[in-house]
Amino acid sequence: MSYKPDQHAWMAYLYDELEAAEKARMDEYIRTNPEARQELENYRHLRQLMGTVEDKEVIAPPIVFGDSAPRIVWNTPALRVVAGIAASVLILMLAGRLTGLQAGFSGNEFRISFGPPASAPAVAPAPAATAPALSANEVQQMIDASLTRNTQTLQASWQENQHELNASIRRSLASNSGRINDLVKEASTASQQQVQDFIAQVQTENQRVVKDYFQLSATQQKDYIENLLVDFSKYLQQQRTSDLQVVQSRLYALEQNTGVFQQETEQILSSIITSVGGPNGQGNPAVAVQTKY
Amino acid sequence: MAETLPAIATMHTDDLIVRARQGDQHAQGKLVQLWYKRIYNFCYKFFLDHDLAMEVSQKTFISMCKNLAGLQDIARFKSWLYKIAVNYCREEARRNKGNRSLSFDVVWNREAEDSPVWESTLQRFANPESQYRHTELSDILQQALCELSDEQREVVIMKEYEGLKFREIAEVLNISENTVKSRMYYGLDGLKKILERKKITKDTIGYEL
Repeated sequence: MSYKPDQHAWMAYLYDELEAAEKARMDEYIRTNPEARQELENYRHLRQLMGTVEDKEVIAPPIVFGDSAPRIVWNTPALRVVAGIAASVLILMLAGRLTGLQAGFSGNEFRISFGPPASAPAVAPAPAATAPALSANEVQQMIDASLTRNTQTLQASWQENQHELNASIRRSLASNSGRINDLVKEASTASQQQVQDFIAQVQTENQRVVKDYFQLSATQQKDYIENLLVDFSKYLQQQRTSDLQVVQSRLYALEQNTGVFQQETEQILSSIITSVGGPNGQGNPAVAVQTKY
Repeated sequence: MAETLPAIATMHTDDLIVRARQGDQHAQGKLVQLWYKRIYNFCYKFFLDHDLAMEVSQKTFISMCKNLAGLQDIARFKSWLYKIAVNYCREEARRNKGNRSLSFDVVWNREAEDSPVWESTLQRFANPESQYRHTELSDILQQALCELSDEQREVVIMKEYEGLKFREIAEVLNISENTVKSRMYYGLDGLKKILERKKITKDTIGYEL
């Protein structure tokens, strides 16, 4: 019996995690060794004690997450910055291209320009290339000839124009002044007669209008007064009938009142008669009343 | 209880983990519900403090949901989860090392005054004296646990209360199985000594256990 379990074996045995062969050996050891039995008993007791600690009840708080989707490459801030810079550079380049911006440095000259560079330097070399074909004199002569021809034609056309203009101005002046004179004369002669006619016409028109107005207002006033009179007579008539009705009803009421009075006096008289004639004619009051009337 | 609940939990978990790993938030929530009590109790026994335990549990589950996609082997989920919890526990313990303040709840536990613990337990119809003794014993044991070193305490809680296998604990702590067993051995030994010092032996308590 040389087997002596170490602490690892003890722990595995205590929690039942030994392999079958190991476990059998351990069982045997404990069975034969009272100290080991005591040890095991102690362990079991301790575990029993520890078992009195119970779990605490707890409610899981809600754990909420935002959007947990993994970031796409496009969403990384670094890439956004780089893309932004690239885009702005591209826009600048495009703008430069569209406006034809050109920057150059040649010799001691730094040049920034919009549009293609001035054509002068580009044209300049052309005559230089053709120069050998024509001499300077010939060119000068050609230029002179063309210039003189040009000035001659220009002068001719100018003179022609001048003539035409002068002629037309004179013609229009003549015709215009004649027409204006006619018009002025016509107006001065016609005006006297026309003014008189116009005034006469206005006067007659005014007359007619005033007459019409008076006639119209007179008829309207007549109508109005007639209507007023009719209405007034109607009103009087109505007033009279209503007065008559009032008087009639008053009379009727008076009549009724007198009737009532009569009856009342009759009753009072009858009662007086009965009370007065009580001691002698008590047996027949009706007879007493009849005698009274 | 500690042995059965994780067993039930694991049955449902595999399917849930697969779904949660694909980003199903509902499954993640379910997973949290399933495991929260275990992780909370582990942390509570580690710190013996409700607030710290809640904080660490929440951190653990937030980290779990974030990193679930990186979990290679679903079968190792349990040890993976405990690994996260243990790491957060250690971090929190390190942070609180210099901070020896007491929570007001500990100084004057009004709640405990107003409602005795036995009122809220299921066996409140049992003998009140034995009930009281039971809760008292539980408190003493928890305090004894806290007197162990962090390393031993981790192992003892995981083994005794969380029902992890030695192999799994070794995986969680990234140490060899034999080291786990050694720590367990010394942990139990330490507990025994602490309890003896507190005069809790087989003779002083016991007929009713």
